[in-house]
Formats: sequence, C-alpha cells, structure tokens
Amino acid sequence: MTVLEVTGLDVHYGLRRQRRQALAGASLAVERGEVVGLIGETGSGKSTLARAVLGLVRPSAGRIVIDGEDVSGYGERQWRSLRRRGVVQYVFQDPLRSLDPDLSIADSLVEPLLIQGVPRAAAEAKARTFLAKVRLDEELLPRLPGELSGGQRQRVAVARALVTEPKLVILDEPVSALDAANRVQVLEILKDLRAAGIALVFISHDLGSVAGIADRIAVLYQGELVEVGSARDIVVTPQHPYTRLLISSAPTLSTASAGRAEREALRALLTA
Amino acid sequence: MVRRVLSLASGRLAVGILLAIALLAILGPLLAPQDPLATSDNSLTGPSAAHWLGTDYLGRDVFSRLLDGSRVSVVGALEVTLMALVVGAVPGILSVYLGRVFEWLTLRIADTLIALPFLLFAVAVTALLGNGITQAMLVTGVLVSPLFYRVSRAATLAVARSQYVEAALISGASLGWVIRRHVWAKVLPPIAVALAQTLGVGFIIVSSLSFLGIGVQPPEPTWGGLLASDLGYLDYRPSAPFVPALLIMATVWASNLLADAIRDVSGESGRALVNTRKAKANQLAAGGTA
Repeated sequence: MTVLEVTGLDVHYGLRRQRRQALAGASLAVERGEVVGLIGETGSGKSTLARAVLGLVRPSAGRIVIDGEDVSGYGERQWRSLRRRGVVQYVFQDPLRSLDPDLSIADSLVEPLLIQGVPRAAAEAKARTFLAKVRLDEELLPRLPGELSGGQRQRVAVARALVTEPKLVILDEPVSALDAANRVQVLEILKDLRAAGIALVFISHDLGSVAGIADRIAVLYQGELVEVGSARDIVVTPQHPYTRLLISSAPTLSTASAGRAEREALRALLTA
Repeated sequence: MVRRVLSLASGRLAVGILLAIALLAILGPLLAPQDPLATSDNSLTGPSAAHWLGTDYLGRDVFSRLLDGSRVSVVGALEVTLMALVVGAVPGILSVYLGRVFEWLTLRIADTLIALPFLLFAVAVTALLGNGITQAMLVTGVLVSPLFYRVSRAATLAVARSQYVEAALISGASLGWVIRRHVWAKVLPPIAVALAQTLGVGFIIVSSLSFLGIGVQPPEPTWGGLLASDLGYLDYRPSAPFVPALLIMATVWASNLLADAIRDVSGESGRALVNTRKAKANQLAAGGTA
C-alpha cells in the first residue's frame, strides 16, 4: 500500500525577481513499511520536499497524496485537521531544539495526543508504552530535556513522533548529531519501526549513514530527483554523475575508493 | 517565578519596600493627622510636635499632605504601567502571528510613539481632553507602551521560530495552543522585567507631570507636586524637598531592584544565578558543568 505519493512537485521560494526554484518536478512514492533514504547536499531541496509533505510550504505545482488522500489543494484548516490525526510525523535533527526546554519529557511526549483531545491520563499511559518502545526508562518522564543525554533526547523525539501511531515518519538527519553508540541504538529503533509497518523517509547528506538501513534511495541534486533506485543499485551501479561523486566521497562505504582526481573529474562533469 | 524572586535577598528587599509603599497608598489618606488642604497662619515652619514635617508656604501640614498624596501618586504610576502593558504587550505578541498588515501597522505606530516628544504630547492631549489625572495617565501609558510592544515582540519572535513550536504545529496545534503552551512561559519574564521598570518610570512621570501642573490639579497634593512647591521656597526651608524626594527615589529604586531580581531568576542565562533544576539542566545541555 502506498503511504506517500508525490508527483511532479514544484516548490518556489520568494517573490518576483527573488523567486527561486527549490524543487523541480520531484516524483516519489513510499510504500508501507519501506525505508526511503533521501540524499542530497545542502540546498538540494531535501528539507523542502519534507516540508511540502508536511504542508509547511505550499507547492506551486504537482500532487501530494498522503495515505490515499489528495492533499494538494488543502487550505490551512484542512492541513491542521490532517496533522492532528498524526498520519505523518517528523523528527528533527537536533532534539535539544525540538523539545521545549521548560517542559518535562512527559509533557513533551503527550503533547501531540493532548492536541488530538485525548484525556491526560490516557495520553500518559500511551506515552509510557512508546517510551518503552524506544528503550527508555519511565523514570525519565519527570525530567527536563537538558537533563538527558543527546541519544536519550533523540529517542524521546522519536517516541513523540510515534505516539499518534503515524503511517509515515520523516526523519531529518536523525543520527548526525549523535555519537557512534547512540547512532546504532537509534538505527536499531528505526528497524523496529519498519518491522511494525511504518514507512520512513530518512533525510541525510551522507549516503553512508543511509545505505545501511534504506530499502530505496532517492538522490536530490539542485532541486531535482536525479536518481531513485534500490539502495543496492545506487551504491553498486550509480547512474548519475552526482550519485557517483557522492559514493566516491562517502568514507563509510566499502566501495569508496575513488581518488581525488576521479572526484574532481566528476565535479567538472556536473558543472559542465 | 514569585518564589524564585523571593529567594534572592534583593528581591525580598524590593518586594518589602513596594509592599510598604502600597500600604502607604491604601491607608495614607486615612492616617493623615490633619486636613491636608487646611491653610493656617504659621507658614514655612520647621518640624515640630504639631507638624512633624513642618508646614508649606500656605501653612498646610506637610506630613498630612504627603500621606494624602500617596494614593494618587501610586495609583497614577500603576495606571501608567497597566495601560502600557495592555496597549503594548498584547499587540507585541500578536504582531508575530496576525499577518504582515497588522505587523507593519503596529511597528509603525510603535515607531511613531517613540518619536513623539513626550511632554509636548502630554500637554497637547490634556489640552484636548481636559486636564485630569486619568487623561494624563492614559497618554503616558500609551507613550510608554512601545517598550512593552518591543520586549514582548522580541521574546515571541525568538520562540515562534523555534523548532519545538514547529513540532507542535506539525502535530496540528492551533495558534492558541502554541501561545498557551510554549510562548507564554518564555515571554512572561521579560515582560515582568519591563513591568517593574515601567513602574519606576511611571512614578517619575507622574511626579514630573504633577510638578509641571499636568494631571493632578492644586491644591490636591501629590509627591511630585509637593516637591515642586517646596523647591520654590528652598531659601526658607532647605530641608523640605528631602522627604518627598526620598519617597519617590525609594519607590523607583525598589521597582528597579525588583526588575533586576526578575531578570536574574528568569531566562536561560538568568537561571544560572539561582540554584534550580532548570538552571542546572540548561547548563548541562549547553555543555557546561552544573
């Protein structure tokens, strides 16, 4: 079953002379229980694509279908009721900034449920079960975000995204702020989610951190999806020069062996 | 926040002085031993058993006049502050959320109010609306309001762009939810600081306006008015301005002290001065040692 279907998406920022295209004709489908890695450098449009799917930016053309519901023409009110159902959730890169420093972990976790109108007691019970799913202890509930480690904070952020039982979770560089041990732990949790049938879109600038977990990889370059394929195909037989450059620059991939001269040649090919 | 302010010695002192002044304002007119408006033959006398602080140029009892004038002075300062708070802080928070037209309009109004020469404007408005304490305080409150507008707008802007607000919006939060749950707690401390500051400023303004004869009309006494009439007879009674000036200074000083105390206990840098869990948590999160 297709959870997300994006067809021919165009997004522009700015007005008149400052108008700039951030996304040009992006098309992507994400199936239930599938992990799609979205790769691209800074300014390539990764976050723009995510923000369009969340309704935070309005596309100038194209179609977005979320869980069988065409949301392309939705206004603010319709978006809010869609978001309230919690079908799509988002995990930020830096949990220290995405958790309110003045709210306890419990308060942050139940927030999406309270917005839905779930009674406080029921919301807290549910938050507890999801805290267990991200392998955190209940004794963290009354603590403040500042009293947790970086890895714990990111797992709280993942738990908060899960409490509404979403069908699609978009993760923006979820492990790039973490050390190796915590990175592994968060990636293990993401594998649990995939097993539970939740579709994941994993945004990163680093192919290496995505290749291990993604089923398919989509490569964004200057606002265009230049290549979409299975993770294996992308890593082993990249087609687009930019993808080849990415792979040759990824130190974490075993295939990364390209020399400096080869990388420069690829750069030259891209700019030509 | 109240408990944290009171945990500082300076906060306790400030609150103590302000409570005493408030008590003076409530009970003062009742405690006045003599009629503050009654004139007598023995003018400009020094302190005596009958007149604890002496008499003024019309032979009126200065002590009674000080007590009687305290209510008008304090209530005037409070009126200025509350007026400025309502007129300034509410549009300040809303300017971030209500769209560009409202934002532009309120920003330009705030700029205009800052540019207006204060005394001239006060004189002009009292000339238009009639010279009375309410008109004068209304004008003053509006003129001071840009402070609240700017402070609350700046604090709201900082929160509105934060990721935790965006996270709430992604979960379908309404504007009211975001303000109640996230914005309010961060905007309150800077507004409280501005409030305490304005109380001090408002006091000086009420005093200087009544010094100039705007707002409160003679013969009704105010602290500023007493100071003004005393200054005219400095040759005869050099010590006369001391007590009204002291009262004004003590009140302004106490409200500034309170503003400092509020600043010290609130905000991420401020909390570091006080040993609270949030302070420690924020220090740890910032990579420091608690």
